[in-house]
Amino acid sequence: MKLLFPLLILAQATVFADGGSIQMRQEAGDLVITVFTSPTPLSVGPADISLLLQKRDGLEPVLDADVSLLLVYPGSNIELHVHPTREQARNKLLYAAPMMLSKAGKWGISVTVARKGKALIAAGTLEVAPPTDRTLSLAGFLAFPPIMIGLFVVRERLLRRASRRQA
Amino acid sequence: MDPIATAVLGSWTLDWGTLCLLFAVAAVYLRGWLYLHAELPHKYTTGKLASFAGGLLAIVLALESPVDAFGALLLQAHMIQHLLLIAVAAPLLLLGQPVLPLMRGLPKWIFKDALGPFLGSHELQQAGRVIIHPVVTWFALSASIVVWHFPRLYELALRSAGWHQAEHACFFWAAVLFWWPVIDVWPGHSVWPRGAMIPYLLLAGMVNMGLSAILSFSNHVLYASYDLAPRLWGISAIEDQAAAGGIMWVPGSIAMLIPAAILGMQALDTRPAHPVKPVLRVLAAHRPSQWDLLSTPLLGPILRYRHFRRSIQITMFLLAAVVAFDGLFGPQVAPMNLAGVLPWTHWRGLAVIALLMAGNLFCMACPFTLPRDFARKFVTPRFRWPNSLRSKWIAAGLLAVYLWAYEAFALWDSPRATAWIIVGYFVAAFAVDTVFKGASFCKYVCPIGQFHFVHSLISPLQVAVREPMVCGSCKTHDCIRGNVQQRGCETQLFQPRKLANFDCTFCLDCVQACPQQNVGILQATPGKSLFEGQTSSGIGRLSRRPDVAALVLILVFGAFLNAAGMTEPVMMWMHRWHARLGSMLPVVTAMYIAGLVIIPVTLAAVCGWISRRVARQSWRDLTCSFTLALVPVGFAMWLAHFSNHFFAGWSTVLPAVARFFSRSSLISYPAPSWIPSLELCFLDLGFLLTLYATWRVARRLVSGDGMALAAMSPWAVLAGALYSAGVWIVFQPMQMRGMMMH
Repeated sequence: MKLLFPLLILAQATVFADGGSIQMRQEAGDLVITVFTSPTPLSVGPADISLLLQKRDGLEPVLDADVSLLLVYPGSNIELHVHPTREQARNKLLYAAPMMLSKAGKWGISVTVARKGKALIAAGTLEVAPPTDRTLSLAGFLAFPPIMIGLFVVRERLLRRASRRQA
Repeated sequence: MDPIATAVLGSWTLDWGTLCLLFAVAAVYLRGWLYLHAELPHKYTTGKLASFAGGLLAIVLALESPVDAFGALLLQAHMIQHLLLIAVAAPLLLLGQPVLPLMRGLPKWIFKDALGPFLGSHELQQAGRVIIHPVVTWFALSASIVVWHFPRLYELALRSAGWHQAEHACFFWAAVLFWWPVIDVWPGHSVWPRGAMIPYLLLAGMVNMGLSAILSFSNHVLYASYDLAPRLWGISAIEDQAAAGGIMWVPGSIAMLIPAAILGMQALDTRPAHPVKPVLRVLAAHRPSQWDLLSTPLLGPILRYRHFRRSIQITMFLLAAVVAFDGLFGPQVAPMNLAGVLPWTHWRGLAVIALLMAGNLFCMACPFTLPRDFARKFVTPRFRWPNSLRSKWIAAGLLAVYLWAYEAFALWDSPRATAWIIVGYFVAAFAVDTVFKGASFCKYVCPIGQFHFVHSLISPLQVAVREPMVCGSCKTHDCIRGNVQQRGCETQLFQPRKLANFDCTFCLDCVQACPQQNVGILQATPGKSLFEGQTSSGIGRLSRRPDVAALVLILVFGAFLNAAGMTEPVMMWMHRWHARLGSMLPVVTAMYIAGLVIIPVTLAAVCGWISRRVARQSWRDLTCSFTLALVPVGFAMWLAHFSNHFFAGWSTVLPAVARFFSRSSLISYPAPSWIPSLELCFLDLGFLLTLYATWRVARRLVSGDGMALAAMSPWAVLAGALYSAGVWIVFQPMQMRGMMMH
């Protein structure tokens, strides 16, 4: 019990998917580019960005592109260069990368897809919410000791009652 | 193979948290099954083992395979995932009759001490009967399936990872309940006749069918996320939804119909069942003797090999020589030097993880005692360690000095200083042990050894006697005296009267020396010796030794002080004082005098004084006993701190090694996102074990629950304050020392 409960929480806390919410879908050249982000809503802190590239005809996934992203926070010199790859994605049809968003607000995003000697560019915006309280995501760990103390009190009572019955 | 098919089939997610959990469950089940298979071969068959393993595999397939990776894009993949959890994993696990094997497979202290009172509770047994009543179980699954398919809830699960896991947990546990009466899992009497399970299954099938029909025949997309998702392979959202409905309908119905058919056939079968022993008798049956690491098939012979320790010591000696050489002559940039990386990031992390998982493996592999062992082939030490110094006071003082020096001279940032410490350690061990007999350096001087001795009190393994009866007839006592071929215990621990790991270097000399082969590495209840207060050979009573209490206080408070020194607020505070005083040394010195001596001693004295008001025992005994109970929370902080460095910076060794071999390397990996969770997990467990130990100490020293509670209260408050400090540290921005990371 002492082992399983925190492990259960750990197992939950570590699941982090690429994919997530669709932020942008654009047609560029002969491709359809879909950009996903997680977590939902996208907020300041660590985040995943992933892209699905499909051929415009037949929507077949494109797996041989070189993708790079530039995220710019307007009115400042904050820039993020991200290089999503299929190796970093859980779903190997996607190109994914982790990133660290430092500010809330509207970020400009520019996607460059290089393939067969051609470069295609798609641009848009990402709305980033203020940071979520980190303690909230780890609340299970903070709740664990009081729960176990409660169970221990119950256990002691049960033991005492059992010994009274035996007496 | 087609690259797209390769990509789809390669979309596996190996989530180590989930895999570790499933592996732990499998290990516990297997252990219990092995006992039960020997007792009840007809009931606990290989088929049951295979079924349970199949259930776990189905969970892995549902949560880690491409089915999960594509669940967000295709409703049909998501439907397969749910079916795997509901109709494959849950029944297969239950077909393994898991309750008894899981109970038998747990360590005795968990099964008997922690779970025993709950399992014996009348109310909980009644609640259990209600929960597995067929009416309740049928509604549990039907309701969870119906409710989670409401578009709003389904969308919630698609948008949030947390709600998605809640949905899966709900499906899985409701399915476990649903299949419980169908499979007739022990414990639990069949409230209804077996034949009644046929309509039970058919009615559930109808609910499933109704939902599938809605999905299959709806002319609009029910879940907006799938409507917005990019379409793969030209499958439209409505086609995907219809396919998902079909999957739910056909395999979902088959999952209900097959067991219904089997139940029907069983009702017609009139052959008598195999006679079996009553299960409760099996549960209470004698358990085999404690698990022994030295008896395990692969590791056992390696550990028992006479030259095993020497070979790992030589390996560590060579490694220490390389590290010291690089520290002295390599570049004085910590992240690029082996002396800046290996001792501070890797060795410390591995040592504490070894303490948690096994025992004092560092002392087993200690390279510092190798030169003196070699010298003793030519020189025999003549003196016994002075009686007046046979305590931990010197070691405690050296430990405090070492902790202070680490911060005051930024040792992590100075490969040369690190190298000199290593060289100094070799010289000190050599000098002490060529003059004094036995392992005087290890027992009375070595600060690193004391760190491991104290913390191995909560390790799960212990060098101990296998059968005490055998020692009763032993006249030679080779385990402590040694013999012609093998020396005895150098730290003077007589195995039959040794109760804990304290002062045990895991050298295995006693294992080699015992002519009866009666010493093993046995499983131990973590932390038991912290509260039992018994007398142990070569140590006496830990709970009556002020020197040990002082050592524990330095280790516990040192853990928090050492970790806090890396946090941004503490560093800012130190820099402010540095600016005022013009030097960092007085700031660190004042901080360490206060944090390692004045505050711990004052707090322990006050807590002991409050406890004495209730307990009416000697203040010294109370303070020493309760102080010992603080070990787990301190160890948890060391573990959280060092494992943070280790897991965040394990790859930092690569550039240093590459540089040592004159190659360039820029390989580095990002710190895993689960480190704070792991740190909090350690702190939680340490805090809880400390609370439990203080309770047990109080119960030992004071009669009556109320009085015991009052006696332990100040120590519980102190433990709570330390735990809170640990949580605060985990949430602070932290300097990743010597790692070129922030």
